[in-house]
Amino acid sequence: MSRIFKNPIAVVGLGLILLYVAVIIISQFWLPFDPLQMDTANMLQPPSLKTGHVLGTDEFGRDILSRIMQGAGISLLISVSATAMGAVIGTFMGIWSGFLGGAWDQWIMRLADILFAFPSLLLAIFVMAILGEHTYNVIFAIGIVYIPQFARIARGAVLSVKNNEFIRASFSSGANKSYVLVRHLLPNIMMPIIVQSSLSLSVAILLESALSFLGMGVQPPYPSWGNMLSSARKVMMLAPWTAIYPGLAIMLLVLGFNLLGDGLRDIMDPRLRNVQ
Amino acid sequence: MARYIFRRLMSLIPVLLGVSVIVFFLVRLIPGSALQMYLGTQVEATPAQMEELKRIFGEDKPVPVLYVEWLGRLLHGDFGYSLRTGREVLPDILQRLPLSFELTILALAMSLLIGIPLGIAGAVKRNPVLDVLIRITGLLGLSLPQFWLASLMVIAFSGLKGFIPMGNYVPFFQAPLENLRMMLFPALAIGIGLAAVIMRYMRNSMLEVMQMDYIRTAEAKGLKRKVVIVRHALKNAILPVITVAGFNTGYLLGGAIVIEEVFALPGMGRLALYAIYQRDYSLIQGIVLIVATMFVLINLLTDLVYATIDPRIRLDVKKE
Amino acid sequence: MKKILHVTIAFVLVALAMPLGAQEKTLIIGVDQEAIGLDPHIVTSFSSHRRVDLLYNKLVRHDENLKIVPDLAESWDVPDNTTYIFNLRKGVKFHNGKEMTSEDVVFSLNRILDPKTAAPGRSYIASIKSIEALSPYRVKVTLSAPLASFLEGLTSNNCAIVSKAAVEQNGNLQKVEAGTGPFMLKEWIPDNSMTLVKNPDYFEKDLPYLDKVIFRVIPEQASLLAGVKAGTIDIAQINDGSTVLLAKRDSNLVVMQKPGINVRTFGFNVTRKPFDDVRVRDALSLAIDRNEIIAAAEFGMAQPTGPIPVGATQWALPLNKLPYYTPDLAKAKSLLAQAGFPNGFSFKIVCSNSFEGGLSVAQVVQNQLKKIGVNADLEVVEWGNYIDRWVKRDFDSMVELRGGSGEPDRFLYRTLYSTGGVNNFLFKDADVDKLLDKGRELTTFAERKPVYDSLQIALAEKAPVIFLYCPFETHVMNKTIKGFKQIGDGSLYFITEIQK
Repeated sequence: MSRIFKNPIAVVGLGLILLYVAVIIISQFWLPFDPLQMDTANMLQPPSLKTGHVLGTDEFGRDILSRIMQGAGISLLISVSATAMGAVIGTFMGIWSGFLGGAWDQWIMRLADILFAFPSLLLAIFVMAILGEHTYNVIFAIGIVYIPQFARIARGAVLSVKNNEFIRASFSSGANKSYVLVRHLLPNIMMPIIVQSSLSLSVAILLESALSFLGMGVQPPYPSWGNMLSSARKVMMLAPWTAIYPGLAIMLLVLGFNLLGDGLRDIMDPRLRNVQ
Repeated sequence: MARYIFRRLMSLIPVLLGVSVIVFFLVRLIPGSALQMYLGTQVEATPAQMEELKRIFGEDKPVPVLYVEWLGRLLHGDFGYSLRTGREVLPDILQRLPLSFELTILALAMSLLIGIPLGIAGAVKRNPVLDVLIRITGLLGLSLPQFWLASLMVIAFSGLKGFIPMGNYVPFFQAPLENLRMMLFPALAIGIGLAAVIMRYMRNSMLEVMQMDYIRTAEAKGLKRKVVIVRHALKNAILPVITVAGFNTGYLLGGAIVIEEVFALPGMGRLALYAIYQRDYSLIQGIVLIVATMFVLINLLTDLVYATIDPRIRLDVKKE
Repeated sequence: MKKILHVTIAFVLVALAMPLGAQEKTLIIGVDQEAIGLDPHIVTSFSSHRRVDLLYNKLVRHDENLKIVPDLAESWDVPDNTTYIFNLRKGVKFHNGKEMTSEDVVFSLNRILDPKTAAPGRSYIASIKSIEALSPYRVKVTLSAPLASFLEGLTSNNCAIVSKAAVEQNGNLQKVEAGTGPFMLKEWIPDNSMTLVKNPDYFEKDLPYLDKVIFRVIPEQASLLAGVKAGTIDIAQINDGSTVLLAKRDSNLVVMQKPGINVRTFGFNVTRKPFDDVRVRDALSLAIDRNEIIAAAEFGMAQPTGPIPVGATQWALPLNKLPYYTPDLAKAKSLLAQAGFPNGFSFKIVCSNSFEGGLSVAQVVQNQLKKIGVNADLEVVEWGNYIDRWVKRDFDSMVELRGGSGEPDRFLYRTLYSTGGVNNFLFKDADVDKLLDKGRELTTFAERKPVYDSLQIALAEKAPVIFLYCPFETHVMNKTIKGFKQIGDGSLYFITEIQK
């Protein structure tokens, strides 16, 4: 853990993420305006300190800053839950597949191949169309996209350590399989899973906003950055700020995850450091 | 080699079959049907009319039966008719392909042109400030939501007369210049993100290779650094970049849905999206199947390119 | 020698024609959706209808004030309220060269009535008992029951007259056309463009003025506007309010607006609690401020309306004559209290993220209802899902865009009669049924007007559906375009009178 703090890239990433966490905590107690309250007298007001709408208002006169702040919680919740879902189910399937081998392995990996061949956004759109537009379905849709990715990584990691001498030794010494699994395999595959998770967290934010952008994600009037951008599309020529700031919010959080992920990889793989 | 290709091709069949089953049943799980979409909310139909329509729309049989019938026709190259337009599905899909190809190629070209030199520079220049700067730029590129970038471009440039004439798509071979002018920004919106990916892989792979013994030996022998980099290191370092570029090409061909939507380009992604909205079953099935086929074929192609560049890789060994 | 003379004359003619050809008057129309087929008896989409406008004629049509005027029928007699005798124009030719006669009219109407055609226009004229060709230019139609909106039904593109020979030759007319209209189909490149050329034999003298009309598909409102600005398009219909605002800022463009006949509604499933209680529906009606909805959801580009589209000025009552149509929060709250909801209640609004789906409207309604303590949750569903919910009547309430009509019987009978085909409110009311029946049996305006006045008041009181507003039809065009007139039903008929 202390190594993270010596890596400037990881520190900046972590800092950005903590900033968002702080915003989310604050938004639970205080927001500049009610993010759902319409104010038709003040539609599409440009950003101004005088009116208090620091980032302007949207087409219903709602305060954009307040909506971005409230949207942060929703976006982060989706991103974390979807990644957790994909990571847990995918890793479990991957370990199972790699550890047992044989027909199971074949079947599971074929299924992963099939899911891989679907473009991920299209797959998510399918799932949303079938299940209906609800926030928890967005989590489910993105989670499903993630499962084969985690399964592959976990399986690869299992295969690479499965034949290590110390594992073989444990088997031949008569230890039972589940003991070996927990004791030796898990620690070895945790690292690639963690790195993949940090990447997935950022992609989930982008996927959620893309889904919402297409009108299939988080549903109005509740703000998510994606649906803010989606409704901004209609008015962005009249009021560019409706499109600029939610996008900026997405970018900075995704950047945070990416920086952290990159830093983590640096720490784990010293070969990737340029200057020793 | 030929045997390997044949075996790989054979292994694609169950994958594509699986894709076809999944898409066929998934589209019918979506609430609402093509018939309902056709009738909309303003049309009244008598029960007799409904029966007739159900027959026309193929909603009078159980789904597994329909699947088998569809697969049978598919094997004869018949992708069926669009329920919405009444036109054959395949020509409509193929008509969208050139745009998706062009967009993919342009975006890929841009990303390689930006990504590879920057990646190499980050790895070989012994300048930590430059490296961190390049890495952060790369991560920034990776973090830009494509559709946001696209929207910003629309806001920024649509004021300029004659720039990005959205939705007026003309095929490349009809009016190359006009076509390129309108494809530039969509390609850039995709290319920037992809460049960031390529750059990262290039940098990391280059760093790994630079630390290998044979490169160090070459350098110790007093060969010029430039020669070492270009002649020896690059050749090996580019391999993972090819894999990544191939993988992304496969996805892009399936349509850059949001980019096509923002720039109103009639590509595959948009066709797929509207086919889903309209419950146009044959069309969705056709698109997904063709996209999936292209995806797996491109991945196969990538592997072959990989093998050509690096003969040390034995194709018969199953890579994990 | 004579031959040479002929050739010379031909050459001279060609040479003369050349400069004329170069000055060919072409109008480019930008549309945001491709047409789904061209068969007037089958098409339902707005985009297809706009092509049919120019390719076909009906027996009767609308003028710019939605009044019924002659089209292929030069005149008609109504000896009693179930008999119509149409006198057809003579010498009208289909684009395939054949003359249009009573045979084609009889064939067309029968084709619409045939259940196998699955014609959307069938319900407009379903009460036809018999169709008879009295002579090549006279057709007698007998109805099984009086239907005051019969002629109105015939103005629909879905009741266009098609060539019998063409249908027998082609099966259906989705990809070809066989009309009598001012323009003829020349080329169709799906998802790109459709080129129509002038019908030189068109029956209206001197019309159309244009030589060529090109429909160009540009699936984006902002791009349509950009096209008109850049001059690559001459005229476009634009629905999106913010885009229209941008157009209005440009002094080189002309923006024409007129309330259409489509009606934005907020309707209830009256079989579900608490909407089975009329007091609850009235309370909601009183809480709604139409002008605010129009300002927030349509950028002010709509006109508040009652049950009859406001553009049909001869029928529609002014809003202040309609009970519960003027916002009154105090009264709304007391009604709710009487109905047993002093603290409000919760329900759901089904809407969709498309123009018809009224997501913005639902958001404003939700916000307005908060003021009387009623909590509305939005169920924003994808469009196909929305249709599914509509068909299954699976909703508490729903925001819709209804295709209205300037003729009250056409619109309200099917919408609110207890067995009406699109009465998805499941509304059943003996008084309303009685008024609707009466309105359709009487024939003269003077007789019908008081009936529909009472009906409008009854519907406002019973409020199974709250009529909100009629969005403007907006056409944006280049300043150089002269002679175009809007019709509330969206028809492009007056393209024929454009001079360029």
